[in-house]
Amino acid sequence: MTPTDLPPTEQLVEAVRRADSSQALLLATRELAASGDPGAAPVLVEVLGFNNPGAAVAAVDGLIRLRGAAVEALLRLDAQNYGARAWAVRALAGIGDVRGLELLEEALGSDVAASVRRAAAKGLGTLELHHLSTAEQERILQRCLQALLAASADGEWVVRYAVAVALETLAERLQSRGQSLQALLDGLDSLAQPADGNPPVVQLRARLAVERIQRP
Amino acid sequence: MAGRSSNPISVPSAAGDDGTQAGASVRAGARVSAPLSEGAPISEAEAIARLAQSEDPSQQYYGAWWLGRMRSQHPEAVPLLRSALRQRRARDPGAGVEENAVARNAARALGKLAPLALAAVDDLLEVLEDPDDGLREAAARALGDLRAEAAVQPICRRLASGPQGAGALRPGTPRLMEPCEALLEALGEIGQGGEPVLAVVEPFVDHERPLIRSAAARALLQLSGEQRWGTLLVELLEHPQLQVRRAALMDLGAAGWRPALEPIRRTLAENSLKLMALRGLVERGTGEPAEPLLLACMDELL
Repeated sequence: MTPTDLPPTEQLVEAVRRADSSQALLLATRELAASGDPGAAPVLVEVLGFNNPGAAVAAVDGLIRLRGAAVEALLRLDAQNYGARAWAVRALAGIGDVRGLELLEEALGSDVAASVRRAAAKGLGTLELHHLSTAEQERILQRCLQALLAASADGEWVVRYAVAVALETLAERLQSRGQSLQALLDGLDSLAQPADGNPPVVQLRARLAVERIQRP
Repeated sequence: MAGRSSNPISVPSAAGDDGTQAGASVRAGARVSAPLSEGAPISEAEAIARLAQSEDPSQQYYGAWWLGRMRSQHPEAVPLLRSALRQRRARDPGAGVEENAVARNAARALGKLAPLALAAVDDLLEVLEDPDDGLREAAARALGDLRAEAAVQPICRRLASGPQGAGALRPGTPRLMEPCEALLEALGEIGQGGEPVLAVVEPFVDHERPLIRSAAARALLQLSGEQRWGTLLVELLEHPQLQVRRAALMDLGAAGWRPALEPIRRTLAENSLKLMALRGLVERGTGEPAEPLLLACMDELL
């Protein structure tokens, strides 16, 4: 069977597999990512491990576009494949599917790359929960809150910046306004302090978050 | 936040940010990078001890790096780094070690240890005249980081022969006669000197290498605040080479040039670097676009 006899998505997959230069891989991945076909997910996940940042960015975009349909393939990824996992965290953070919660928690707490921890923090503020029961939503929000509060002492400013942003989005969604909200505000307060090594941009962002949360 | 400096996460990994090698060293050879094999967290006392011994230079190298990275205020740090600055050792290609590697790391660390390291400015000025151009580069950056006004004249002397002299290719190497990028950046960071300094820097905006043009425009923007230099940097954000776009991002951030917000958002480069540049716009810039817009753009890039 020649490639043109294949159904459209499979032609695109074929093009990714046959790509013999990084430019060809980038273009083929972009096309496959644009297809929006859930069948593309496993191949897009494979591209995450090809050590081609341009193609990986395109694959992440495509996976985020597939939303929930990409999650299974992303979670199946081998934990040993570090490069691919870093990209997968970004995709899961962008998708916001609650099945990615554990991976995001783990990435925020222990990934070596600040860019991965940063993406994980942002993702923990924006998980989609509306389809869940109120009790279940609250349970997950609490886990997100604890993970973010722990990361407010991260050594990299950009991760702390992302934590401030995520805490702000989380505050709007917490139903138990009492203790949890106070813990959240305390976390933001610590990020707003001019402590050694905490740059003005993080302080500024944390103060902005507090103002927005407390605005009536 | 005392816990922060002992956080093992803050030791950079060998792998760069964004899954590329870009994270640690944005500009060629410019920044401090962690030695690869010694990534385990150590205490301040351990870092001091490693720098103080003389049996194993790789331990000294790591100790010097650690003290700078953690901005150690230990009373022994600056004296030890000053003596490490005098340590000379040939390059060891087998071990992948640069010439005078310990002295280079000592210079870089001193740049991060203001105000205590102001006591080392004279030592750094001496190193600025060293035959090893890598060491001169590290000293220039440190003097810039320390805002050492005493360095303006010596740096201008090094650059005075212009793009055809200081900026000429060193025969048989890819390097220039002087570490022009570092020297230019230092002048911009120090931010002093007026017309005579501008006259030394300006010819470098026509250098054949875009990275040198970018460094010159950054210094001129910092020294004069003139829009044309910001415009030149914004043009470099569209350069076909990623390395040049990355440098222009860092330079716009260093100068805090807020009109570059939209071009920074659009350029093709890692979000990590865009975020660093935008942090510079927030912290070092003034005027429009104002902070809420800058922060909103950063939020989107996370």
